[in-house]
Amino acid sequence: MTAYLLRLLRVPPEPQAPDGSPESIRVFRAGRNYYRWRMIVWAFSQIFVVLSGLAFLGSFAFIVRKLPPMVLTVMVAVDVVAIAFLVIGIPFTYLLQRLNYELRWYIATDRSLRIRSGIWSVEELTMTFANIQDLKITAGPLQGWLGIADLEVSSAGGGGVSAGGKHGGTESSHTAKFAGVDNAVEIRDLIVERLKRYRDAGLGDAPVDLGGAAAELLAEARSLRQTVTAVDPPSTASV
Amino acid sequence: MEPVPAHISSITRPVDRLMTYYVLTALMTFVAFPVTMLILYFRYHTMRYLFSEEGIRRSWGILFRHEVLLNYARIQDIHLRSNAVERALGLARIEIQTASGSSASVMTLEGLTDPERMRDFLYSRMRGATEARHHTEEGLAAAIHEVAHQLRAVRQALEKRK
Repeated sequence: MTAYLLRLLRVPPEPQAPDGSPESIRVFRAGRNYYRWRMIVWAFSQIFVVLSGLAFLGSFAFIVRKLPPMVLTVMVAVDVVAIAFLVIGIPFTYLLQRLNYELRWYIATDRSLRIRSGIWSVEELTMTFANIQDLKITAGPLQGWLGIADLEVSSAGGGGVSAGGKHGGTESSHTAKFAGVDNAVEIRDLIVERLKRYRDAGLGDAPVDLGGAAAELLAEARSLRQTVTAVDPPSTASV
Repeated sequence: MEPVPAHISSITRPVDRLMTYYVLTALMTFVAFPVTMLILYFRYHTMRYLFSEEGIRRSWGILFRHEVLLNYARIQDIHLRSNAVERALGLARIEIQTASGSSASVMTLEGLTDPERMRDFLYSRMRGATEARHHTEEGLAAAIHEVAHQLRAVRQALEKRK
């Protein structure tokens, strides 16, 4: 069933790591509890929608005399069909939730990141460490209890747009999100460590002592000249 | 600067399949179909790409003309996106972000023959994708240290002869 669905939707296989040194490639996956978290959120939203559909149906009892029977019949029929569709769709949306958890890859190499997610709409984001501006770890109370967190890695650029307020988070297309990882701190430390190599990145700024290096070169050149003069004095002196 | 490989520089037009996708997109708008179709038809037929050594130029439009130019080195993030319909047609979009202050992508490359290969090419031209040590101040400092080291060795060799 799963394999058939993936073939039908032509979901591409596991993503390739971006170019980098092969031994530095680390592939992270969403934590086991991310699945549980998604299930809880999904179950609550399903229950909420079914209940509100039933409440809507119940409310018809009060307006029975105020509407022509024809209109009322149509409204009740539409509502019943909507609820039926929702209930029939439960196994399907469950499977999509399950696959959304399974088909997530967070790849880090020595110089870049690649995030891949999605089933119907497949999304892959690549960014280099040289462009990273900040790192953020967030976890709601439920996520905290389940021991998972979201790690967000942002590059420069504004315009953070609220993602339809689906789970109340803000998502910008300048952000790579390691959603629901159970080792957010470890991944953050790994990225920070690798960022240090990019002194011109937003994070990992460290002064480069260009003047000091030039002074050292000048001192060395000067003492070399003195040595040369001592070994081989100018011809005018030997005459 | 490295020349652009032939499979990239030869791209000037989107593939035919994009038109199929546009027709399907227009059908999704039901009553607005004639208007959407007209817009997308001209969009497809006026779309031009130019991949130069420095960057990409994309232009489209007939009444309202658009032209976007960006440099590879200024690319911040590369998004490779596709929905199931696009994948069924063998298409994918590459959305490119720069550090400009909007969250909408600066340029969307549609109708590419091999989107993954394009992504790899763009990635190879991004800042920080390859080791470019001597282009940075850090590299310059390292080079100066190396020259100083060489001079020191020359002086020591001379002193030995004395």
